[in-house]
Amino acid sequence: MADLNALRQAVINGDHTSARRITEEALGENTDPLQIVTGCLVPAMDEVGRLFEEEEYFIPEMLLAARAMKESMELIRPRLTATGAPSSGRAVIGAAKGDLHDIGKNLVASMLEGAGFDVHDLGVDVPPEKYVEAVKTVKPHLVCISTLLTTTMPALKKTIDAIDAAGLRDSVKIMVGGAPVTQQFADEIGADGYGENARSAVQKARELTARGAA
Amino acid sequence: MKIKFICCEIFYREACTVISRSPNLIDVEFLPKRLHDLGGVKMAERLRQVIDAVDESAYDAIVLGYGLCNNGTLGLQARTIPLVIPRAHDCITVFLGGRKRYQDYFEENPGVYFKTTGWIERGEMAGGLSQFPLPDQLGLGASYEELVKKYGEENAQYLYDKIGDLTPHYRKCAFIEMGIEPNREFEDIARQCAIQHGWVFEKLEGDLSLMQALVDGEWINDDRFCVARPGQRLAAEYQGDIFQLEESSS
Repeated sequence: MADLNALRQAVINGDHTSARRITEEALGENTDPLQIVTGCLVPAMDEVGRLFEEEEYFIPEMLLAARAMKESMELIRPRLTATGAPSSGRAVIGAAKGDLHDIGKNLVASMLEGAGFDVHDLGVDVPPEKYVEAVKTVKPHLVCISTLLTTTMPALKKTIDAIDAAGLRDSVKIMVGGAPVTQQFADEIGADGYGENARSAVQKARELTARGAA
Repeated sequence: MKIKFICCEIFYREACTVISRSPNLIDVEFLPKRLHDLGGVKMAERLRQVIDAVDESAYDAIVLGYGLCNNGTLGLQARTIPLVIPRAHDCITVFLGGRKRYQDYFEENPGVYFKTTGWIERGEMAGGLSQFPLPDQLGLGASYEELVKKYGEENAQYLYDKIGDLTPHYRKCAFIEMGIEPNREFEDIARQCAIQHGWVFEKLEGDLSLMQALVDGEWINDDRFCVARPGQRLAAEYQGDIFQLEESSS
């Protein structure tokens, strides 16, 4: 029997080789793929987020854990699709126009994937119209916009305004984040949510999409 | 007028220049650039301590050689004399002489790594981290060797690809010439930086007028500056003014 506890631990430890091996074993034994995700990968990434908040983990540890989780997920995804298991939701993510920094944005994208979201990453320096386009084509439940610099903070509002002007605001929940962003700023520009770090971003994403589905 | 000037060392040469040309009596105190690496809250706390230590009876105003600096100046409060700060996102705004010019340049050129004398000779850190307000504690900016030691060869390679270069999307190195450089050495270093990274090099003409006006006390009815009166504190305004004032409750 594949040891799912060991898989969880391998993800927490950032051991992608073991994560991949145990996932292959588990799937070979016809373990329910959704159970691997919800019972194993999601709690593992939760724990990684907690360790980061406690300052036991830093960005390198987060990245290694995210890689282990992603490799496991790559094996599981085809099975999930085949069984028709629901994803947590579709998310479009990107760094705001003018912002070229993506370490934080990539971490949030990985954590969202680890939480079962279907993530569409638009990259960096994403103009508002590209978000609008993505909302039309991907039809996400969630749009996430990040910025590292105060200089590009106005671009967050412009993006939200553009989605609004396109008549799409009610179809998505919008989250913002990045070093200079605060809850107050998120409120001011009409975002639905704010994540102080990758873990709280995922918690907020879950909350928003659950409410959206209700 | 007597002024206490609390200034980031990134402006060392520029500050000395404008002070020498000012009619005012100015006491300057330089603080390390590394304050920015503490993150906004801790940086503001450190600045508050420095402001609190000033004998305000000896001065007419305190002026700050800082900008919003990733929220590192938020909450700073004028006590018994005015506290003045340029409406600037960061030092680049000040080097370029104002927020409008910086904003226009930034919108046309998002991926620019700026160099000035201060950026070259003050507090450089490994991996170019110094330009970013990211705390050291996040574990960024480590060398490849350090990563290997901590995470093993294979993991280190992966991490180095992901975070070894903090400026993977940058396209240009711009040297801002302030007209105070002693020789071409600084510009040459900036040109070297561009070559090393495969970036385009550009030389921009700096503008000392904002910093000169700051120490000369030309703040009244001047939208380049935010002047906190006693009892007021600095708050952020992200749509263009950069700062706004809040009445302090305490």
